[in-house]
Amino acid sequence: MAKKPIGTPLRRTDAIAKASGTEKYLSDMQFDDMLYARMVRSGISRGTIQDISLPPLPDGYYFITYKDIPEGGKNELVMIKSDYRCFAEQDVRYIGETIGLLVGPNRSELADLVDKISITYNEETPAITIEEGLACTGGPFVGTDNLFCDFTINKGDIEDVFTRADRIIEDEIITGWQEHVHLETNAALAQPSGDSYIIYASAQCPFYVRKSIAGLLGLSYEQVIVRQTTTGGAFGGKEHFPDVLAGPLLVAASVVKRPVQLVFDRHEDGAYSVKRHPSRTIFKTALAADGTILGMDIDVVYNAGGYESCSYVVLQRGVFHATGVYNIGVSRVRGRAVATNTFPSDAFRGFGAPQTLFAIETHMCHLANELGVDPLELKKQYFLKQGDSTVTNGHIFEKVVLSEMLNQVKTASDYDRKIKEYTLGSGKGIGIAFYNHGGAFTGNGEQMIIKAKARLHKRADGIVEILVGSTEMGQGLQTAFTKIVADTLEIGTDRIVYPNPDTSVVADSGPTVASRSTMIVGKILERAALEMKNRWNEDTDFSTEAQYEHPEGHPWDQNTFQGDAYIAYGWGACVVEVSVDPLTYEVQTTGIWSSHDIGVPIDELVVQGQINGGIIQSLGYAAMEKLDYHPKKGFKQIGLSDYIIPTSMDFPSQQWDLVHNPYPYGPSGAKGMGELVFNGASAAFVDAVSRAIDCEIREIPIPPETITELLV
Amino acid sequence: MIREIQFTLNGEVVALTCDPLKRLLDVLREDFGLTGTKEACGEGECGACSVLKDGKIITTCMVPMGAVHGCEIMTIEGLRETQRGRVIIEAFADGGAVQCGFCIPGMVIAAESLLEEHPEPTEEQIRLGISGNLCRCTGYDLIVESIRLAAQRGKGLW
Amino acid sequence: MVETCYIPKDLAEALRVRKETGAKPIAGGTDLMVVHRRGTGIVPRFPWPVMIITQLQELKGIHEEDGKISIYSGSTCHEIEASELVPYQVRKAASLMGAQSLRNLATIGGNVCNASPKGDLPVPLIMLDARVELISATGVRQLLLDDFITGPKTTALQDDELLSRIIIPKPEQPFTYLWYRKIGTRRANAISKLSMCAAVTLDLSGNIIDFRSANGASGPKVARSRSVEELIIGTSVDTLPDILPRVLDAYDGILSPHAMPQYRRSSTRRMLAYFLTEVGKRPAEQIIQ
Repeated sequence: MAKKPIGTPLRRTDAIAKASGTEKYLSDMQFDDMLYARMVRSGISRGTIQDISLPPLPDGYYFITYKDIPEGGKNELVMIKSDYRCFAEQDVRYIGETIGLLVGPNRSELADLVDKISITYNEETPAITIEEGLACTGGPFVGTDNLFCDFTINKGDIEDVFTRADRIIEDEIITGWQEHVHLETNAALAQPSGDSYIIYASAQCPFYVRKSIAGLLGLSYEQVIVRQTTTGGAFGGKEHFPDVLAGPLLVAASVVKRPVQLVFDRHEDGAYSVKRHPSRTIFKTALAADGTILGMDIDVVYNAGGYESCSYVVLQRGVFHATGVYNIGVSRVRGRAVATNTFPSDAFRGFGAPQTLFAIETHMCHLANELGVDPLELKKQYFLKQGDSTVTNGHIFEKVVLSEMLNQVKTASDYDRKIKEYTLGSGKGIGIAFYNHGGAFTGNGEQMIIKAKARLHKRADGIVEILVGSTEMGQGLQTAFTKIVADTLEIGTDRIVYPNPDTSVVADSGPTVASRSTMIVGKILERAALEMKNRWNEDTDFSTEAQYEHPEGHPWDQNTFQGDAYIAYGWGACVVEVSVDPLTYEVQTTGIWSSHDIGVPIDELVVQGQINGGIIQSLGYAAMEKLDYHPKKGFKQIGLSDYIIPTSMDFPSQQWDLVHNPYPYGPSGAKGMGELVFNGASAAFVDAVSRAIDCEIREIPIPPETITELLV
Repeated sequence: MIREIQFTLNGEVVALTCDPLKRLLDVLREDFGLTGTKEACGEGECGACSVLKDGKIITTCMVPMGAVHGCEIMTIEGLRETQRGRVIIEAFADGGAVQCGFCIPGMVIAAESLLEEHPEPTEEQIRLGISGNLCRCTGYDLIVESIRLAAQRGKGLW
Repeated sequence: MVETCYIPKDLAEALRVRKETGAKPIAGGTDLMVVHRRGTGIVPRFPWPVMIITQLQELKGIHEEDGKISIYSGSTCHEIEASELVPYQVRKAASLMGAQSLRNLATIGGNVCNASPKGDLPVPLIMLDARVELISATGVRQLLLDDFITGPKTTALQDDELLSRIIIPKPEQPFTYLWYRKIGTRRANAISKLSMCAAVTLDLSGNIIDFRSANGASGPKVARSRSVEELIIGTSVDTLPDILPRVLDAYDGILSPHAMPQYRRSSTRRMLAYFLTEVGKRPAEQIIQ
């Protein structure tokens, strides 16, 4: 019997339990003796704490602060840097910074006590916007210049290009904050267990959590056992941020010696959790007399907020994607992550790439307008090809199928007819965007830092357990890995189990981020499975393990950022069609078409789910997810009635397609896709709207009020 | 102030003595241990806390127990025991509707409510029927497809 | 803090409790239970006594009486949306409030007494000259809804009164043309950023014998002005283009200067101009889209 292609959909292993309501998330779990916690946070953007006045605490209620960190412990959450403190001490850097944790048995009592805590501060002038951060408003609070990082990459000699240029076009593109709105809010629990602690967390990276918080109590990693609970969505919002809950909880558990639970209210998630970095990208593009793009000088600044967390890495990715899918002969890209007194910005699907990819796509449209040519014709001229050099003087190794994807979306959307029929300013518009996403960790991260491992265990009863730290957060990883292993072992998928990871049991396969899991960990699992297959008939139960092997021939210098930043990319093309109401300037999206190269699909339903979800989230980013920040009050739109995400009625059904382009180092030829699918729809939407209203757009989001302002 | 509130829960008559302002959501999840109904926003915007009250979909995070006296409440735990509920759940599982799953019990309740009104719904009716249920993972298309699949498979049930 | 909650078994008991304690009514709870919430697992806390009136049958029903439509205050948005007795624009406004779940809980009494400037139902009701009937243990009175709502979140409801019903008079002649638009924060489940309804009645010769227009989310109260409306009444539909600019300017004058000025003012202007221009074409359909 012919083997079904791996892409044939498999019913997800967790689907029935989730749909029936039997699957338990952290807030559904009961623990004996459990206490509840409420976070007490800074109410000001910047300053020092003068006094904390507590109401009298009844028996059984505790207020945990940095003072409860024992001798030998350090008040830090170790992320990529260790600048993030677990508790504020004297100074505070943003509204919402953790000052303490109020712990006790009754939630109503806790709420009353929290309301009675009174904190007085010596307030200082905060820096909120990118401009204020760069200008060091109120004086720098990070180094001498408020920069967490500042680096520049060069390809060729941009200054020389400027001297030869016929003209230089300047452009500035702005993107705003975006909140993840994972439907399950942030949640964690710490439970003492002998001389160890068990942390339950709705989290993407259980190994990151233990690495981050063990030092608070001077514990070894093995003494902090982290168990991922079934996670109701993450999108990067639970990559490092769970540490901010788990750290104080660990300290609290060490004091009260009982399980302590912390589940954020939606408004807390909205007001006091990490967001996507706002960005400002400035272009200076040199054009020859005949309109050829000679070079680009690009200045990228991300608003990192009060702590660095992973901003340096986010910025790197943004910088490495700054010229998008285009072969720009000469370029200089400068990236800065500026410190401001706002809630730290952090990982969010795309991880820095969406900002610069939106910028370059939009800028190319503006260049075309300047040159009086059709934007699509301009873009096509510069499409990267296999062998071309990248912005870091590396190379594109795979066959680039942008032309095939373009043909697919053009045909499906009837683009050629519509682009003529929908004249500029007619109220109807069709837009197109191209994008990519470098797979897995930048440069040498996989082999130098992560060194992922995967383990399989064949039990005596013949069931195979997948024991990796990679987490299911809805993206379908449990299903994908199950299929890969089943396919390799040639056994039924019902013979495989993949439990939520426990750091004391599974191999550290690295964080579930960067769209690396299928491509990198899946491949390692495939190898572990091959070894298991060869040993299948062994008598007792046994495990096999494999470790990451970096493909040869990809030089990378992490100090100069030269070489192959990524060894493979996912690619995408997206068309969006809109109709703008002439009376109200509300935008109705009337069509969405996409095509992606993700190597090979591991499961077509999982793939469709990611495409649909990523595109809608990207359209929300452009069309409606406005998030303002006030220096005295923090984020403005913090609940779901005022932070607007798309409903089922906001966008039509999508048409989607794939171009098969198998990747030799991916399992069954697959590459990553979870973030790629976010990276383009926003630019396609803005392209469509700008044509419909015949007005260039330089900032997102663009709710109708903003469109009105543009047209005045 | 406490009162005895009597109502039907998943087909069974129950009574609870509590503050009549206690939220139905908390009663279901904590007093009855029915954790299938979720809290995701606390203000009636997201639909994750949906149940059927006298056959109509409502958001339990804003309903005081005093308004539940004498009513019939069906949660996901009750719906999954019915043939209609099972058809919807199976269709969701086969149709790719489930990603992180947090919105899904509410979506199943919404699907039942909408199929009750429109046994052969158009895409527009489906989208309107789930417009009070927010999902951040799926972009809605596969949920819409799964409801259509449920309507097909369950022909005659609604 | 007082935490008393009453559950009266009938209207008479409710009025007695209201008189004795001033307890505030909770019907659907969709505003009050959210505004006063304190978090997961915590009972909402009100600073005054409350009474749950969801169960009172005497406050339910939608009837036609003496040529007027009575909508009792406990009617839910869903019931209003579904009732053929209710005028088109009120049904439309009800159908666009929140989502299905909200519409199954939220009552017209709650929406009117909450008197939020962004409230959906008062806009067409005020346009239709609706009245409220207020009852107490000692009597009954009626006033125009436009007089009942006195400002943002404030009404003329006395401490011993309950809202019994909304009474919508039928116009002397049925409207020839109707318009309703709500601009929400998104396409479904949306709080109103602006809502507008308008109506025109023509006689056989094309003279405008009635014109009304009301705006929501445009200021502290629903914006409506009979004197602005009278600028058009009596004129012929053919002369509309000549007086349109004056009418638009006058209408603009009744919108609050503080309410998101540019977007709301310009959208209102465009919508009103569109409606009146379409009316000028004397289309066959009653509802202008």
